[in-house]
Amino acid sequence: MLKLLKKALQVGEATVEYPFKPVEVAPGFRGKPEYNFDRCIACGACATACPPNAITMEYDLKQGTKTWNIFYGRCIFCGRCEEVCPTGAIALTTEFELAVASKEDLYYRAEVQLRKCSCCGEYFAPSRELEYVMSTLEQSGLPEGDRQGWRQLLEKCPQCRRRQAAVSVAEATGSRDRVQGGGQ
Amino acid sequence: MGQGSESKRAQKYIKDLRSKFPGAILEESSQAPDQITVTVKLNDLPGIVEELYYRHNGWLSTMLGNDERELNGCFALYYVLSMEGNSNKRENTWITVKALVPEKEPQFPSVTPRVPAAVWYEREVRDMFGLEPVGIPDARRLVLPDDWPDNLHPLRKDAMDYRYRPEPVEENYNFIEVEGEGIVEVPLGPLHITSDEPGHFRLFVDGEYIVDADYRLFYVHRGMEKLAENRMDYDQITFLAERICGICGYAHSVAYAAAVETANGIEVPPRAQYIRTILLEVERLHSHLLNLGLGAHLVGFDSGFMHFFRVREKAMQMAEILTGGRKTYGINLIGGVRRDIFKEERDQVLRLIAEIRTELDELLDILINTPNFISRTQGVGRLERQVARDFSPVGPNMRGSGYARDTRADHPYGAYDRVSWEVISKDGCDVLSRELVRAAELYESFNIIERCLTEMPPGPVLTEGFAYKPHTFALGYTEAPRGENVHWLMTGNNQKLYRWRVRAATYNNWPALRYMFRGNTVSDAPLIVASIDPCYSCTERVTMVDVRKKKARTIEYKELERYCRERKYSPLKF
Ligand code: SF4
Ligand code: SF4
Repeated sequence: MLKLLKKALQVGEATVEYPFKPVEVAPGFRGKPEYNFDRCIACGACATACPPNAITMEYDLKQGTKTWNIFYGRCIFCGRCEEVCPTGAIALTTEFELAVASKEDLYYRAEVQLRKCSCCGEYFAPSRELEYVMSTLEQSGLPEGDRQGWRQLLEKCPQCRRRQAAVSVAEATGSRDRVQGGGQ
Repeated sequence: MGQGSESKRAQKYIKDLRSKFPGAILEESSQAPDQITVTVKLNDLPGIVEELYYRHNGWLSTMLGNDERELNGCFALYYVLSMEGNSNKRENTWITVKALVPEKEPQFPSVTPRVPAAVWYEREVRDMFGLEPVGIPDARRLVLPDDWPDNLHPLRKDAMDYRYRPEPVEENYNFIEVEGEGIVEVPLGPLHITSDEPGHFRLFVDGEYIVDADYRLFYVHRGMEKLAENRMDYDQITFLAERICGICGYAHSVAYAAAVETANGIEVPPRAQYIRTILLEVERLHSHLLNLGLGAHLVGFDSGFMHFFRVREKAMQMAEILTGGRKTYGINLIGGVRRDIFKEERDQVLRLIAEIRTELDELLDILINTPNFISRTQGVGRLERQVARDFSPVGPNMRGSGYARDTRADHPYGAYDRVSWEVISKDGCDVLSRELVRAAELYESFNIIERCLTEMPPGPVLTEGFAYKPHTFALGYTEAPRGENVHWLMTGNNQKLYRWRVRAATYNNWPALRYMFRGNTVSDAPLIVASIDPCYSCTERVTMVDVRKKKARTIEYKELERYCRERKYSPLKF
């Protein structure tokens, strides 16, 4: 017993004054994921990677929007979203005080605009994502002459692109009428 | 891989089986150099498992059912045996005995009458797949709640959507009945002793002495296997696996990742193996310190408890420095780890280890010299060697009964065969031995972490660009702080798993607990339960029944814990 008393005196206070004083966390601590709307291209990579479905994406093809949602109540602070995000729009911080008075405050959502297909006029993909793809292509050294063709292609929705591809194959093989008849 | 290139290590066992059971082995396949699966005729199943278990020093590590009707028209049973006891550990191997159960006749001969260790597994297969183990001595439900519909077996592929929840009805579990002059039934729970988790224990007592015990667990069954098979991608499950347990989650995550890696033939870089090993040992540190603290608390030595927890905090800091998380490290991916360890972090951790080591020296010295500690733990809660042999318990629970079984040494994974360390075992068979095993293991962990940190080879920490192969299966295993964890899985289409069976350490320790209670006093019960360091979510109430007065009464956990600590004013005097 005496030994323990000595030990206790030697150690002194082991408790910290939190919450009256902040506690320090390690530099690489995985806390609340912060979202930067300006950088997000709404590609959805984070939503696909997120193990507990804390991040979800929703399309509204009538309104022409794609919504990015996070529910912090489900987040397990794994950091997969940060890892897969191509633009660095989401990153884990060292913040861990996430308590809120109402569950609603644990939701955060953001809306981005969708682009209309230049061919059929339907909404299909976020404008930001298309711009991002275009600028990546440019940076990777796409020759000036090809840019216009790529831009036209990217402005079409996947269905229209597929149809166009089928048509050009058909033209090349000289069976245009048959394909059009069958494909539409 | 595949049939024909079967493991050499397993050949001596297979040869023996072929001569003793002519024609019983239908097929052999090997998943890894030390993992072999033999398909046998259903009727020879009990005999073959018994032969490997008792005649060849095998231990039952896990057993599972699988609905393979869309693959081969049958249900399948897999009994996974760890073949140990070879003087050269390199000869140790895993043998899985597989048998097919036809869809039209969903029953199989029970292995339990020959190998008692199979009892929980076979009860579970019956709940989850509706396959009847014919001849099993205990046919009660194990995993499913009492209000679950009778003919709905959740793990059959065509049974139900994973979100389905049946209407609750009143629970009604048939506890065993022990009759005899002077026997009282003591219900213990609904919340458990030491960890405040749900489990319903029934102690049959004669005066103050426990004659027998029965328990009902799985009140916190979360249906993770079904969830993983239905909703998650294989690379997301690593994070789910880490949440199987609040203490040894990382060990599950590693076992899961290793199983996927073995099944797909993915090579994990050596540096990643070292990092996994370091973190597994950090996990052992905080877990063992917690259990030693709880032990001190239960013998009424609370200041000791506080000090163990103070020291444990340093282990949590280590985890935070290395991974960014105090408990859920989240750094495993299939193929390796996501974060490297840099010099700065290494130095901080080495400093913390040196601090914990000196602190622990002093604390253990005080604990061992607390007269109460020895007198309360010595000779208490004995796990006899024969009971241990029959039920395949694992971890410090087993090593306290003189068996030096440790997956880290028996089936080395990670970097355990590249650094030197020793398996600790004591042969007192009691609570004291189990706590001393933990104390000594802490020092081994310090050494392992130090060695790994200093000897770690440079290089990448993650293998990328592998192909996911459908319908391959394999085992993944780790020695968690509580003992061996075994994950068996089969890959499926669309980046999903076809079947995932998690066997946490405590699952193998529960069935023998009944025997560990016998002959002890009621005030020792919490201490005995704490000494196997149970984990409820991996696998929790107390009712006491007076057999003489034929009375039953439920005692609150707080009351029983108080009695365990003070040993005054018995709650049994009613
Ligand atoms: S940290 Fe993990 S759980 Fe949280 S939002 Fe990101 S991916 Fe999802
Ligand atoms: S991955 Fe990044 S860019 Fe893509 S949706 Fe998520 S936050 Fe936005």
